[in-house]
Amino acid sequence: MLTTIYAKTIRDRRLGMTIATSVLALFMLYAMAVYSDIDLSIYTDLPQSLRELMGIPEGADAASLSYNVMLSAMGALTLAGLAISMGAAAIAGEERGGTIGLLLANPKSRTNVLVSKITSMVTLIAAVTVVLWAAGLGIPALLDVEIGQTHVGAMMLHLGVNSIFYGFMAAAIGGWTGNRSLASGATAGVMVLSYFAVGLLPLIESLADLARVFPWYYYNASDPLVNGVDWGHLSVLLAGCALLGVLAVVGVNRRDLRGQSSGVTVLDRLRANPATNRMVDRLAGSTRVSRLWIKTASEHQGLLIVVSVTMFAVMGVMLGPMYSAIEADLASMSEQLPEALIAIAGGGDMSTPEGFFQIETFSLMAPIAIMIVTIVIGARALAGEEANHTIGLLLANPIERSTVVLNQVVAMVLYAAVVGLATFAGVAVASIVSGLGMSIAGIAATSILVTLLGLLFGAFALLLSAATGQTKIAVYGTIGLALASHLLNSFLPLSARMAGYAKWTPNYYYLSSDPLINGMNWGHAALLTTLIAIMLVASVLLFDRRDLRQQ
Amino acid sequence: MNETDTAALRTEALTKHYGDFPALVDVNLEVRLGEVYGFLGPNGAGKTTMIRTVLDEIRPTAGRATILGLDSHHDSVEIRRHIGYVPGDLAMYPNLTGHDTLTFFSNLRGGVDWSYVAELSDRLGADLSKKVGDLSSGNRQKVGLIQAFMNRPEVLIMDEPSTGLDPLVQREFQAMVREVSSEGRAVFLSSHTLSEVQRVADRVGIIRHGHLVAVEYLSDLRTKAMRRVDLEFDSPVDAGVLEAVPGVRDVSVDNHRATLSFDGKMATLLTAVAQRYDVVDINTREADLEEIFLTYYRDAAAEGEVTV
Repeated sequence: MLTTIYAKTIRDRRLGMTIATSVLALFMLYAMAVYSDIDLSIYTDLPQSLRELMGIPEGADAASLSYNVMLSAMGALTLAGLAISMGAAAIAGEERGGTIGLLLANPKSRTNVLVSKITSMVTLIAAVTVVLWAAGLGIPALLDVEIGQTHVGAMMLHLGVNSIFYGFMAAAIGGWTGNRSLASGATAGVMVLSYFAVGLLPLIESLADLARVFPWYYYNASDPLVNGVDWGHLSVLLAGCALLGVLAVVGVNRRDLRGQSSGVTVLDRLRANPATNRMVDRLAGSTRVSRLWIKTASEHQGLLIVVSVTMFAVMGVMLGPMYSAIEADLASMSEQLPEALIAIAGGGDMSTPEGFFQIETFSLMAPIAIMIVTIVIGARALAGEEANHTIGLLLANPIERSTVVLNQVVAMVLYAAVVGLATFAGVAVASIVSGLGMSIAGIAATSILVTLLGLLFGAFALLLSAATGQTKIAVYGTIGLALASHLLNSFLPLSARMAGYAKWTPNYYYLSSDPLINGMNWGHAALLTTLIAIMLVASVLLFDRRDLRQQ
Repeated sequence: MNETDTAALRTEALTKHYGDFPALVDVNLEVRLGEVYGFLGPNGAGKTTMIRTVLDEIRPTAGRATILGLDSHHDSVEIRRHIGYVPGDLAMYPNLTGHDTLTFFSNLRGGVDWSYVAELSDRLGADLSKKVGDLSSGNRQKVGLIQAFMNRPEVLIMDEPSTGLDPLVQREFQAMVREVSSEGRAVFLSSHTLSEVQRVADRVGIIRHGHLVAVEYLSDLRTKAMRRVDLEFDSPVDAGVLEAVPGVRDVSVDNHRATLSFDGKMATLLTAVAQRYDVVDINTREADLEEIFLTYYRDAAAEGEVTV
């Protein structure tokens, strides 16, 4: 173990971790305040089987509901995401940054460096978990909320081990390939896929056991909040960590380290081949650099394809037959649900296809998908050029700074539109093929609104990027705002007293009008568009007046 | 463009502070069309800050800069039609090939003469078919140089341009720089490679702690007859005697040998020392830029800041 590398990695990462922990703890506080303010009988009156399905313990209380809401999806995905980003960067990040040579010129082995980096990942995740645990115990005490039978510590332990597992997976992929983007992308894909598989498969009786294949199963299928630590499940995850750790070490030691070289893509091979050279040269060469926005758009095409295909196929087309298969179960389940609970789920009545798609596709995944592409472009657009030291050369050409900003906006709008269109097409095809009879206009309206919502956060990332020139601030700031907006918009309506404040969150203008059923709400669309425009103008002005950063 | 203002680059009391730190202080400098201006200074003296301010990447705290009579901030886009630029820490887009990179910049400029690009590429021995990220730093630098030269700019601004180039390519690059100035265009060359500046520059400006401490014609520096003189005597010699001679500095004495810099008539020196010692041998040579440079620095350090 190398204490210098260990300490440096912790120092580099503590900001992101601190922000994530604070946001999660704050919202736990907030959720608990809301839940202790409302009549919980809608939850406690649920049939036992359903209550267990939702992970609500006997004699459900405000505390366990808040833990659940914060940690079963949002918190766990966020924390695992942070672990993935650290695991993927362990060695592959140094290779991408071109610093690996210098690092390994010191008399320390690759294994040593890797172990130090992974240890720092484990330390930080453990620290976050402990802080959240303290918050989980302190907040109810602060609000005078009874936590009853809930096993907060067990939940946190599962949370921490689950996150670390994905960190190890990213480190293993990064160790074998030396490709940071691949490592984080593939691991995040596994994580999201298994999250959904574990959520949906148990609904289909014949496939329920298949959920065990997915790692997310071992996070909360045992309901640690209700049943305490499941050492069997935890040991599955820990064994996975050990295996992946060994794989990472072997992978890092057996291959050539990469330089800053960008690697050879399929396009490069086609370009080198005389048979395809002319056509591909035009596409990958001259067309790609013909305009600034086309060049920006060409830089993240891999990400765009993965996100669009996921939205079209997994979150769209495939959910059609899935809905048909479990329609009856959903109907009987929804019959048992109190009216109030249905209202809370954002009007998403799971027994109708609209409600099902609203909850599965549109409420969380679609905004996240579009935000991934818009934030990547928005945050990297200007600050990325500054971090890569290319901005000086770019702006030595006779173009206005505002032109640079606007070109990035064009690329961002294009990306958002492609993902929005893929989402629309996926859901529309699902509806038509499976004969669900959903309103096509409604799907289109919802897809347009979610595209606007994604653009709004992308524009915010661009604004931060333009104002500060720092990618980190742009990314973390925007994720913080998006998380806050999503959570506030989900929780505020639960309290009659505070419901009105939901209108202050951008997310309110996305689904509050039930666009899947009611079609387009032009007022909401216009409002989102106006906000986007204001932020873009502000970005241009702020970028124009500041000193460009050199590093 | 102001027709009466023929300065390629001019700064008037240009000042830039980073917070409390003065990176540039009251810099008044003029680069004329048709000349190569060498901008010298050690690391951290303010060379890059100067260039970034002139290019409107960062904005002056006080004072102003003009290029071809155009204001560096208000006319920045128009200025950039007339300049070529090689940044000090040259970074380009690693995914693009050299050719893609040049096409990209050419598109931003509205076209370029590709036969000239081919000629430049030939002269520097650049490989434009590889991705920039896969090139060695010297080969990447060649792509950077081509993009700066390719639109035949009236003013070329280069920050440490020969970084990473091998000696043969450096020589070719220096020839290209001379050609630019002989065509009546201007080159502003920031460097700490003194031998290169000595070879190509018409004038040099020396910057230290953000202050422009001296501006000299290279030819003046030579005719100023700043010489290095090696003297050998028949007996041990006292440094104080030599230092007392007007025009003598940097004396170093080793028993009966002495080396010094001398700025004046040789007869004065010889007469003065011959009164005390017998001169056995004498050897003189022109001081090179490095010695002049070091002298400036030593003086400035001894006397405090000099402003010109």
